[in-house]
Amino acid sequence: MAVAALNPASRRPLPSPAAADDGDALRFCSTCAFSDACLSQGYDKSALMDLHVLVEHVGPYREGEHIFREGDEFNAIAAVRAGTVKTYVLDAAGHEQVLGFHLPGEIIGLSAISQSRYPCNAVALDTVMLCRFSFPKMALLATRMPGLQAQLFRLLSEDIGKASLLAGDFSADERMAAFLVALSRRYQRRGFSATRLHLTMTRTDIANYLRLAPETVSRVLKRLQDDGLVRVERRELEILDVARIEALALNVLRH
Amino acid sequence: MATLPPFDADLLRRYDRPGPRYTSYPTAPQFHSGFGETQFRHAAQLSNEDPIPRRLSLYVHVPFCFSPCFYCGCNRIITRDHSRADAYLSRLVREAAMLGPLFDRDRDVMQVHLGGGTPNFLAPGQIGELLETLSRHFHFSQSPSRDFSIEIDPRFINAGDVEALAFMGFNRASLGVQDFDPVVQQAVNRLQSVEETQAVIDACRTNGFRSVNVDLIYGLPRQTREGFGKTLDTVVASRPDRLAVYGYAHMPTLFRPQQRINEADLPSAEDKLGLLQLAIEKLSAAGYQYIGMDHFALPGDDLAVAQAQGQLQRNFMGYTTHADCDLVGLGVSSISHVGDTYSQNPRDLPSWEIAIDAGRLPTWRGLSLDADDVLRADLIQQLMCHGEVDFAALEQRHGIEFETYFCHDLLRLQPLEADGLVERSARGLRVTSRGRLLLRIIAACFDRYLQQPQAAPSRFSKVI
Repeated sequence: MAVAALNPASRRPLPSPAAADDGDALRFCSTCAFSDACLSQGYDKSALMDLHVLVEHVGPYREGEHIFREGDEFNAIAAVRAGTVKTYVLDAAGHEQVLGFHLPGEIIGLSAISQSRYPCNAVALDTVMLCRFSFPKMALLATRMPGLQAQLFRLLSEDIGKASLLAGDFSADERMAAFLVALSRRYQRRGFSATRLHLTMTRTDIANYLRLAPETVSRVLKRLQDDGLVRVERRELEILDVARIEALALNVLRH
Repeated sequence: MATLPPFDADLLRRYDRPGPRYTSYPTAPQFHSGFGETQFRHAAQLSNEDPIPRRLSLYVHVPFCFSPCFYCGCNRIITRDHSRADAYLSRLVREAAMLGPLFDRDRDVMQVHLGGGTPNFLAPGQIGELLETLSRHFHFSQSPSRDFSIEIDPRFINAGDVEALAFMGFNRASLGVQDFDPVVQQAVNRLQSVEETQAVIDACRTNGFRSVNVDLIYGLPRQTREGFGKTLDTVVASRPDRLAVYGYAHMPTLFRPQQRINEADLPSAEDKLGLLQLAIEKLSAAGYQYIGMDHFALPGDDLAVAQAQGQLQRNFMGYTTHADCDLVGLGVSSISHVGDTYSQNPRDLPSWEIAIDAGRLPTWRGLSLDADDVLRADLIQQLMCHGEVDFAALEQRHGIEFETYFCHDLLRLQPLEADGLVERSARGLRVTSRGRLLLRIIAACFDRYLQQPQAAPSRFSKVI
């Protein structure tokens, strides 16, 4: 981290490490979505090797570059190693509908499993590195590794849960609070700061995702800032009062 | 930084070398033509996408002057032909119409500044038309802290005009004076009486202007301690809220009007220092606070208050309380600061006119700051505005380790530390009272571009 930040040519460093430690033949990346499932159950080196065989590090994708598009043939899911990926669909009128944002350690492409084609688009919001898993091979390996299978089910279930998060009748403040709390928890789970968030997504994207107008996003954030819950400086957001923002998010997140 | 700095002639003499004024970092010589209209449009769009987009500050440059002041280093055109104002205004209207839609409507305009040249080359009616145009294409804040400011040449305005400006919403004025000594006025071709100046200050006060600034210059031809002392006494007696006391930079090859100044009439470096000392002593005695660089303010003025609260900023218009806004420049030679970019319109009128007439944004050159630029800009801003750098705060904002990152810069700083201009502790840097008149020299230690061999320091004026 310190070394990367010392390079004057590097972009503004994130408040927390942007990229995972890369693994090698016998070591998982620090953000690996599957390492816990494997390691916690004591898989031996050969099992790890099996998993690494079907893993392919891809990228970097540059800001705005598509990783897959709706209708592309599905053969792999991918874990984000660095950066943020936005998934979205276009409605009949051609308007974008943001489905979600995928942070380091999270999986994209899960919703394609049932169809053999990707049902949405995935685009890099900043410099993105991926870890791609051949899905047929992974499914095969999962039959031999119950822990891996359980982890796959867990990821699928989380993915479905995320989609229903904002379906209810919630106020703009509740939606925004839930968005920030969820982001914070997801970063924290991967070992990043829970209170200092670098928002890689645009105001338009956040608004679209929360089904709010862009001006409302800013108005709500200003209100939260005036009330001392957060501090916002450009794309950096600091959660100052965790208890109050969690209370505000409770209706949406339900825990 | 509240009190006035002590004066040490020997120290100032030793450090009297060229250096940037750091109204921006990187400084304007780093702007390049690879940054044009496309890059500006992209920067504007990106700036709308912050979670809370910055508010806006508009700068409009009016390049015309009725007569040439010989000391001037600004971008201006001398004419008495008023029709030129109409032509210029009609293009400003088109530029505003192109710029406005680039910025989301919920981005309130907190500051409008008319600079020049001589903004009051435009008649009040024309200025009103300009403001009305801007308000149509941008959303003006209704906040009481909104600043509408204008630079005024007191020789070409009357009380009725000032009243008209106040009616339009102007609440700050900056008056050019330079020196009231008739001998100096003759030598710089700017004849301006105390009475007409005082009348404008009075009119500003009567019409509720929140703040009046007066510009003075030391180091002008034929300037003496006696004459400049009288000027200072006169100015201080009318209690302007702010005072700028600029050092005259004689660079006739760069600024052609200065070729008409007789070099033999210029005060020696020694005398020039004496004039600065005189200004500092008199302003100090009159209760003014030193803000930094060339700027002084009464303790109740917004600048002094902002500095006390750690909110002071610095941009192309000098010290300001609104530099947390994105700055959008209109008119010939104007500079914009949008997101992490700087950009500038052409400095010559025909190029600007051609672009506007072709329906193009006239962006001439600029640059995108990289992470290192952003970090150094932050550091230099802290030095110039507050005379302090808190390592931990900077490290947290930029994800660096200060002493490692700046190890070469800190070596350059050592002689300045030895001279007692700046103190370094484990927690930060602090400019001493001795160093406060030499802020530019201290800041320059952290300027990456000055360390490159191709840098041409002669483009910058001397410090004092």
